Amino acid sequence: MGANQPIVELENVRVDYPGGVQAIDKVNLEIFEKDLVGLIGPNGAGKSTLIGVILGLIKPRHGSVRLFGEALKPRNLRLIGYVPQKAQLIDNNFPATVDETVLLGRVPGAGLFHRLNKEDHLRADEAMKILGIDDLKERRIGQLSGGQSQRVFIAKAIVDRPRLLILDEPTTGVDSQSKSEFYDTLSRLNRDLGITILLSSHDIGIVTKLANKIACINRTLYFCGPTSEFETSSALSKLYDYPAGLLIHDHP
Amino acid sequence: MTTLNELIILLQAGFVQRAFIIGIIVAILSSILSVFIVLKRVSLIGDGLSHTAFGGLALGYYLDIVPLWVAAVVVVLGSLGITRAIRSTRISSDAAVAVFLQLGLSAGIVLISLARGFGINIESLLFGSILLVTLDQIIIASVILVAVLSVIFLFYKELVYTTFSESQAKASGVRTWFFDYLVAALAGVVVIAAIPIVGVLLISALLVLPALTSLQVSKSFKQTILLSPVFGIASAFLGLFVSLILDIASGATIVLTAMGIFVIILGTKRIWTR
Repeated sequence: MGANQPIVELENVRVDYPGGVQAIDKVNLEIFEKDLVGLIGPNGAGKSTLIGVILGLIKPRHGSVRLFGEALKPRNLRLIGYVPQKAQLIDNNFPATVDETVLLGRVPGAGLFHRLNKEDHLRADEAMKILGIDDLKERRIGQLSGGQSQRVFIAKAIVDRPRLLILDEPTTGVDSQSKSEFYDTLSRLNRDLGITILLSSHDIGIVTKLANKIACINRTLYFCGPTSEFETSSALSKLYDYPAGLLIHDHP
Repeated sequence: MTTLNELIILLQAGFVQRAFIIGIIVAILSSILSVFIVLKRVSLIGDGLSHTAFGGLALGYYLDIVPLWVAAVVVVLGSLGITRAIRSTRISSDAAVAVFLQLGLSAGIVLISLARGFGINIESLLFGSILLVTLDQIIIASVILVAVLSVIFLFYKELVYTTFSESQAKASGVRTWFFDYLVAALAGVVVIAAIPIVGVLLISALLVLPALTSLQVSKSFKQTILLSPVFGIASAFLGLFVSLILDIASGATIVLTAMGIFVIILGTKRIWTR
């Protein structure tokens, strides 16, 4: 794969809800290595659907998806860390500890019939340290706060050193202090570890500060390009039918 | 009620010892699998599969082929069908299980009525007859125990991940559909091993209660899966013992004991955490 080849390529993707109603249509998106892409759009605009398509969870009716220069295959998905929306994270009564949860991120890469070993545990410890949750190791995930549990799932998503990290509305239900720490962490992962990030969020102000690229969706992509161009474009006002200046505000 | 002397003589009898052995084998099998079944929220699958097995046993009697083998084939096919239906988005999972349950039961009753006079002991199919267990049944159950535990050991991490979150496992490239079918097929095999003990009507309790009890006290997934068989074995052992003393139905007493242990642990936990 060439250096300038995108690691995610969506071409003319269309997804229909059951019953034939369009969820997204004519979506063309390219994400390059080390990008931090902010995916923004109103509720029901198709952000999660778009993420589902990239992850192979939703089959598009039309169009093609390529990951790391190849058609979508399980081995490509192993190069992606995924943090779903809070509601889909986990049943609070599931008996896993923080340690056990983070280790699950090593399962796909370990391969069938291989037991998780000392190396896997070391990597899990490392990921927990990066996210500052090593002192919560023995705690049950159901007993954590929203911010702590978010960190656990990011640790799980990065424990196998993914090339791409996808986060779907990760700050929903997280307090503002944790939110700001969380965005710092994301920025660190992108800058220091070189992990490409696709972040879907409602926090337009923060996302435009963090991301070097913005993808703006409402059934179709209204805008996809550098953040600087986005801020001067009319995409946001078109998207929300509202003056852009009022929407790009900072509320950590 | 059995006197102490009678009890001692009973415990020395081969048929009683065989009952304890198979009780423990089935307890280990069902309680380990129960953790995956309960956490995957498919607790009714045991009911669906046991009634499918009932249909399979009846078919075996009707065709005059070894009923247990016919039931094994029918139940494994049934487990695949139930999983297919549960995974389908067209009908809800409880309705899918209910359809298979009713199909197995009604087909079984029709076949048994057709085969009337062939000496089928329906009561033992429905409620189990642990005291009539033969050495052959113990050997079959032991083989099933080794096979099921080996499969769980081989796919342990994938089974845990799929149980934890199917969408997250799938998004990272785990073939979750395979593990859904695998858990159902294993449950089917366990049902076959367990029918002689508790019968068709009560097996689903053993595929749920040990995990439920274990979940009340465990602090991790590892503890849950290690403690579940402890509660399963305790239920089988105590239940069988009590049934011998009181001279009452063994299978039902085992299930009531499992239920009793669950209620005691739940109550103690409530008082403890108050």
